[in-house]
Amino acid sequence: MKLSRILAVILKETREILRDRVTLATSFVFPLVMLFGFGYAVSLEVEDVRFGVLDQDQTPASAALIDAFDKTNYFTLVRAYSSEQNIQQSMQSNEVKLVVVIPPNFYTSLSREGAPPVQLLVDGTYSSTALIALNYGMSIVSSFRQEAASRINIETRVWYNPSLQSMIYIVSGLYAVIIAAFPPLLTTLAIVREKESGSIQQIYASPLTVSEFMIGKLLPYGVISAIQIASIILTGYYWFGVPFQGSMSFMAAASLVYVFCNVGIGLLISTVTNSQLLAVLLALVVTMMPATLFSGFIFPVFAMAEPVQLYTYLYPARYFIELSRGIVLKDAGPFELIEPLLLLILYTSIVLTSSVLLFKKKVA
Amino acid sequence: MGGRIMSLMLKELIQFSRDKVILGVILWMYTLEVVLCGYGMTFEVKQLPIAVVDHDQSAASRALIEKFDLSEAFTVATYATSQEDAALSMRKGDAQYGLIIPPDFQSMLKRGESPSMQVLLDGTNSNAATLAKDYTTQIVALFESEFRENLGAPTTVRPVVQIWYNRTQTLESFVVLSMIAVAALMVGSIHPAASIMREKEVGTIEQLMVTPTKVWEIFIAKTVPTLGVGLLAIFPSLLVIWWFGVPLKGSLLLFVALTVVFLLSAIAIGVLFAAITRTLQQTLLLCFFGLFPMLFLSGNMTPIESMPPFLQNFTAFSPLRYYMDVILGIFLKGSGMAELWSPVLHMAGLGVLLFSFAAWVFKRNMA
Repeated sequence: MKLSRILAVILKETREILRDRVTLATSFVFPLVMLFGFGYAVSLEVEDVRFGVLDQDQTPASAALIDAFDKTNYFTLVRAYSSEQNIQQSMQSNEVKLVVVIPPNFYTSLSREGAPPVQLLVDGTYSSTALIALNYGMSIVSSFRQEAASRINIETRVWYNPSLQSMIYIVSGLYAVIIAAFPPLLTTLAIVREKESGSIQQIYASPLTVSEFMIGKLLPYGVISAIQIASIILTGYYWFGVPFQGSMSFMAAASLVYVFCNVGIGLLISTVTNSQLLAVLLALVVTMMPATLFSGFIFPVFAMAEPVQLYTYLYPARYFIELSRGIVLKDAGPFELIEPLLLLILYTSIVLTSSVLLFKKKVA
Repeated sequence: MGGRIMSLMLKELIQFSRDKVILGVILWMYTLEVVLCGYGMTFEVKQLPIAVVDHDQSAASRALIEKFDLSEAFTVATYATSQEDAALSMRKGDAQYGLIIPPDFQSMLKRGESPSMQVLLDGTNSNAATLAKDYTTQIVALFESEFRENLGAPTTVRPVVQIWYNRTQTLESFVVLSMIAVAALMVGSIHPAASIMREKEVGTIEQLMVTPTKVWEIFIAKTVPTLGVGLLAIFPSLLVIWWFGVPLKGSLLLFVALTVVFLLSAIAIGVLFAAITRTLQQTLLLCFFGLFPMLFLSGNMTPIESMPPFLQNFTAFSPLRYYMDVILGIFLKGSGMAELWSPVLHMAGLGVLLFSFAAWVFKRNMA
């Protein structure tokens, strides 16, 4: 392997990148767009959910229960029904998302066994809201008289994200998603573009070996990705206040492996197709979507059905999310995170070797 | 004139059908991906892994632990020997919850005193942590009422939950339907964009210009096939919908009709992307990432009410947001035009606006 040849490829690639303003802008602007988008638009906290109440008891106790709902940030009382008939229409027109129905003997039965149940009616259509709102509602109702009854003290301590902000949860996972988005796409397009336009023939005809070509292609995009991840981490820290508890150098090392993994996936995709459109669709389906949906980024892996949990092992984003959240939020080091780290390294090596092997040099 | 459009569309169809792999990918997006999401996506707390430290090792503590393990929400991942041990598991991510039972747990209970137990919550996923805390309270209450013979205590208020529209499904229906909507958006925009861009790059679009075809005929030929693909893809989606038991309470015909309206917007966006870029790579990048903000703003991942007010206003410009209302309304609530007139109007308005704008830009580019 000759360094001069690799450098030549790097130089050519860099020149092409710098000439393409759109791609350049996209590469640096969009990660931040995603960061801000996800940071601000995606919030798992539920606030000011409109709810209505049908109070069939009309006692101080029922009023206190309603108040328990209204005074939280989660719920806002907008409607008090006089009968059951209005409820359905009100839900269907989206006037309220939750209805609390307090039965007639609520107050009197509070001190007896077999208290008639309070009904919570939820608009389950937007299930993410519904479920979260529902659970908050249930906990408000159950804790209404809980303290007196319970003998066991439960001391709870919340670690790693004591303020329970979902933004920290999301931003700390976003690193994995953004790096799963760009490198495969850019790298695969870099190669497939040449295939489609035919200039790949010149590469084939040259003394360049496959590995030299791949390294030369890989490095510029690796550098871009490294800049992207650095900018995201810095923005996350300074703007969003995502804490950085762990070791910067460990994070840098893990990120580097992950970047090369994704660049390698891009290379791999480019070996199986000659069409740019297909390359993009494959990149979308194989990297970005799984990274967003199946890596534990938003939806926790432990809650998925068993077979789906196995499926998540296919994607490197899953390992990197464990690493990034562990390092950034829990100050976990290489010892605790040895498993995902090794798996990621293994994955990367497999991907890179396969792409070199699969990239067949065809003589024209 | 009709003949020309027909032959142009035939050409598009032939080119499209040659790309078998692309067909496969589109099919995948509409079906398998949706299925996987249906099984995977949830905001519930299920099988949350716990690290248990049982300093008491009594019948009572074991019964309590068993209550946690048997519940749907939790599962005991590891029995740790000390708090540090549990903390290690939590740092590793093997457990997201630490349960520490003190040594005199059972004896204190028997004496009628109040033992304490410690719960360590991994707050990373704030939603899961909050839910885990609530489930803990409920499980402990359940344990107490079973364990103690003391009946004099007042009962707590028991909530009975009825989910109004999603009676048997919970999140699955929502996820399945929203994934289908997203697939429609992606395919609807990428397909015409790629088709136009490819011809632009190769140069065959110039050849088209030299022929007697009018610009609008080319435009129609580029956009209508996508409508066809989008509508055809509905059928495998229906299979998935049936598989998950998502109810279809409303009119299928209405759904198809409104999907067409939605696809108009998607197609228009694709054409616009193709118009402002010079290479296929740029177009695809733009499609890829330009659609992302729309995903956020659709209420897909997050309820719109939870977004900051200025972002809520932006959602008004996202056709996906209205399509979501439509698709969820028709399937889950049995809504008809009477209830859906508002999102339909918005969607149609946006669709017509975007489509005409796209046509105008297309014509300008071609001239």
